[in-house]
Amino acid sequence: MNKTITLILILIVRIGCAQEPDQYITRQGQASFFSYTSVENIQATNNQVLSIIDLSKKEIAVSMLMRAFVFEKSLMEEHFNESYIESDIYPKATFQGQIQDFDPSINGEQTRIVKGQLTIHGVTRETEIKTKIEKTGRTYVLSGDFELRIKDYEIKVPPILARNIAKTISVTFSFKYIPYEK
Amino acid sequence: MKNNRLYIILLLFLSGFYSLSAQDLLKLIEQEQKDTVLYTLATFKATRIAIGQSVETRKKGVLEWQFMSRFWNIPDRRTQSFIADKVSARIGLVYGVSDRLSFGLGGTTWDGIFDGFLKYRLIWQRTDKKGAPFSITLFQNASYRSDSYPNITATDNFRNRLSFTSQLLIARKFTPNFSLQLTPTYIHRGSLLFPEDRQNLFALGLGARYKVNNHLAVVSEYHYLTNPIRAVDTFDAFAIGVNWEASDVILQFYLTNARNIEVGNFSTQTFNNFNFNDGNLHFGFNFTYVLHLKKKR
Repeated sequence: MNKTITLILILIVRIGCAQEPDQYITRQGQASFFSYTSVENIQATNNQVLSIIDLSKKEIAVSMLMRAFVFEKSLMEEHFNESYIESDIYPKATFQGQIQDFDPSINGEQTRIVKGQLTIHGVTRETEIKTKIEKTGRTYVLSGDFELRIKDYEIKVPPILARNIAKTISVTFSFKYIPYEK
Repeated sequence: MKNNRLYIILLLFLSGFYSLSAQDLLKLIEQEQKDTVLYTLATFKATRIAIGQSVETRKKGVLEWQFMSRFWNIPDRRTQSFIADKVSARIGLVYGVSDRLSFGLGGTTWDGIFDGFLKYRLIWQRTDKKGAPFSITLFQNASYRSDSYPNITATDNFRNRLSFTSQLLIARKFTPNFSLQLTPTYIHRGSLLFPEDRQNLFALGLGARYKVNNHLAVVSEYHYLTNPIRAVDTFDAFAIGVNWEASDVILQFYLTNARNIEVGNFSTQTFNNFNFNDGNLHFGFNFTYVLHLKKKR
């Protein structure tokens, strides 16, 4: 008898939770990276980043196509895909993680640490990213910036071009989430 | 007992439903990923494989400066020449009118041939597993021979000095490292050095690239001429070499038997076979510098 009640209770909780939107999505998230050296500045922007946050689990997942990065010079874009990031083999960069101490109910700004695994060029690394979370009405905006070392993701730069490409790339992102309806 | 087990299974099942992990979120995203058109990048890196045209065109607003050269020795001749007895060089430009249409022109020193061409990407291979499995680029050139032929009996007015080459460049990037190109070629020669020569010739070019690492590729080309001219013995043009690219520069080094640089001429009038003897072995070097006249954004 007790068991049946437990089962029914779980069912009720499960259905109850499914009714309010837990998940928020962005389909046009923006991510940019910059490489500043004395020789050359390289920057590229991706305006088609996909991301979902789960408010109850305080979890986040991000996925982006490397081919969607737009460069100033078309040949740079080709080199980036063909010779550095190898987008034929590793088409996507992904991130999955947990937003630490996240309180979805706070209106306005809160700054939180997002801890998770960042995968670029087929290499997965534990990463912590300081993120600004802004809630206005039914939308959340997550934004921030961080730095990554290209060596960590096994992106090789030929010695002759070592001065053209920064060893540390700065990344900025801004994702605006809306309630996710399937 | 049996009931208990059923209960645990149900409990696990339900609670499993309940907790979506980040892993599942990532899977959810994958489903949301729209199909985007991805045209295959860099079937070949340069607009030439080595001696012949590649399927590649330049993107809109891109100006490419091309320096192509051949070096060879004259057999059995005592010379004081440094490295090579003879040098031929073509200086040319390629401009991307649009992402699909390129326009080019150039002049060659040794044979005095000036040429202009249009290249149009008709079909573009796609990497997203949809659309065309290969690329087709149309190539049409016109060349003008500024030097007169030594044969005084040959008629040599303006029309006779023109020749036209049409090519269908068909290429497929099979893997990120390996690309292959087939090039059916039609050549119309305005000039007849000897009356028995043919004016219309057909050739089939074969080209390949194999990427050794991210910046270095081995390339080879062979141009089979189906109906060679009759007055003199000719050989099919062959080239083997390496392409190296970084930043805005593409360097191509190769060995070939083709002395002429313009496509209609090297396909039909290569008078020496490919071997390592003096006079036959030609060292080729192409230097390409890419300038972006219009920048995105």
